[in-house]
Amino acid sequence: MHSRIQFMEELSRLHHDILSMGTRVGENLAKALEALRSGDAALADEARAGDGAVDAMQVTIEDRAAVLIATQQPVAGDLRELVAVFKLTEHLERIGDYASHLAKAAKRLAKEPYPRSLAPLESMAELEIAMIRDAVAAFLNRDSELARACALKDDEVDASHKAFLEEALDFVRENPEKAQQGMRLIRASAWLERLGDHVTNICEAVVFMVEGRHVELNE
Amino acid sequence: MKRDSATDPFDLAVETGETPWALETKGMSVDYGAFRAVKDLTMGFEKRQVTAIIGPSGCGKSTALRAFNRMNDLIPGCRTEGQVLFHGADVYAPEVDPVRVRRWIGMVFQKPNPFPKSVRENILWGARINGYSGDEEELVEGSLRQAALWDEVKDKLDKSALALSGGQQQRLCIARAVAVKPEILLMDEPTSALDPISTSRIEDLLEELKARYTIIIVTHNMQQAGRVSDRTAFMLLGDLIEYAPTKELFLNPKDERTENYISGRFG
Repeated sequence: MHSRIQFMEELSRLHHDILSMGTRVGENLAKALEALRSGDAALADEARAGDGAVDAMQVTIEDRAAVLIATQQPVAGDLRELVAVFKLTEHLERIGDYASHLAKAAKRLAKEPYPRSLAPLESMAELEIAMIRDAVAAFLNRDSELARACALKDDEVDASHKAFLEEALDFVRENPEKAQQGMRLIRASAWLERLGDHVTNICEAVVFMVEGRHVELNE
Repeated sequence: MKRDSATDPFDLAVETGETPWALETKGMSVDYGAFRAVKDLTMGFEKRQVTAIIGPSGCGKSTALRAFNRMNDLIPGCRTEGQVLFHGADVYAPEVDPVRVRRWIGMVFQKPNPFPKSVRENILWGARINGYSGDEEELVEGSLRQAALWDEVKDKLDKSALALSGGQQQRLCIARAVAVKPEILLMDEPTSALDPISTSRIEDLLEELKARYTIIIVTHNMQQAGRVSDRTAFMLLGDLIEYAPTKELFLNPKDERTENYISGRFG
């Protein structure tokens, strides 16, 4: 009985790479969040610089997955796993972009602090750091239940975005001279809201990988 | 093709019996002496589709295929139970002539086996035995065109079939099979002895042939089954484990044994 040792080793390597990419994206988002809280411009620059590595990881992982499909002709669960790999890397790369945008906004805010609370943005980012970790874990452990539970948390992200939006629009109405600052923060909140959607997409890819069904989590 | 429906009960059933399946088995088992190679097989084959039967060596797939047109009758000690229904008639009924069965349910084998005769005679021999009385040149050309071989052999019809390449010989065997106008073509690993280009040509041919014939193909090549078939049946140790549209079976098999086999975990 043979077990496709080489193929399993390559899959294992892909898992390792996905874990590295997810970890790096989470770290960049955490740095951007801390830069937002503390006004640390150097930390914001670090978060932005880290996005280059994330983009490079996407290319490496996708190339490796494409070679596996071409040379190993996977079917069934193995094929669905590789399809999920392509989806994961695409969404993690976009999440990395949003983390980078947040870091840029944090750097601007350091020069011009926002007089009201940024707690909703901070709570969105904190929640999403945990969601990224759970979504990647769900993929690595083939855990569709964890994927579903993770996707549910996007409701909290959406609620925080809505709350911050109302608050920020109120700020702009009362302080029209600070409209540009207000709009920057509204954009930052929208990036974080979209980031949550991308994590949900990762969770949907995990469900497809495990169960072979396309589902919409969190409509 | 002339049908001697007045005297042959099987031909009569073909003329009058209409069923949803091209071929259907009910509780079909095949034994070699005391060894049961195929166990209680019950399945229906869709008309004018390609069905692949896959499974590891010794799973019973070729034995099952040969049972569909009573080729196992030629094997001493081989016994078949249950029913194989073609147009509602059981091919194993006592009054049925197995030669008539094989006229309707033709077979192409793994190793190309043209007769040691000319290309033309290979096509005409079976037709003449079955009472063909029409235009022979039309039959030869039509059959060779169906097998995508006409252009390559039209100037060599009187040359020996054994002078053709392996891929050409196999296509000649397909032409020979369709010359008697069967309804079903059984193919037992028809490309495993051929090079990749010949294999590809025959796979392309299957797509054309299924417009006219129901095709049941046994293959140990998973990728081939994925490429050519509409439905796939997976057999293991004589049992039918899973039978589904090919896209479903290869993307999301229901049985873990199917998943393990098609993923190469065993076999």
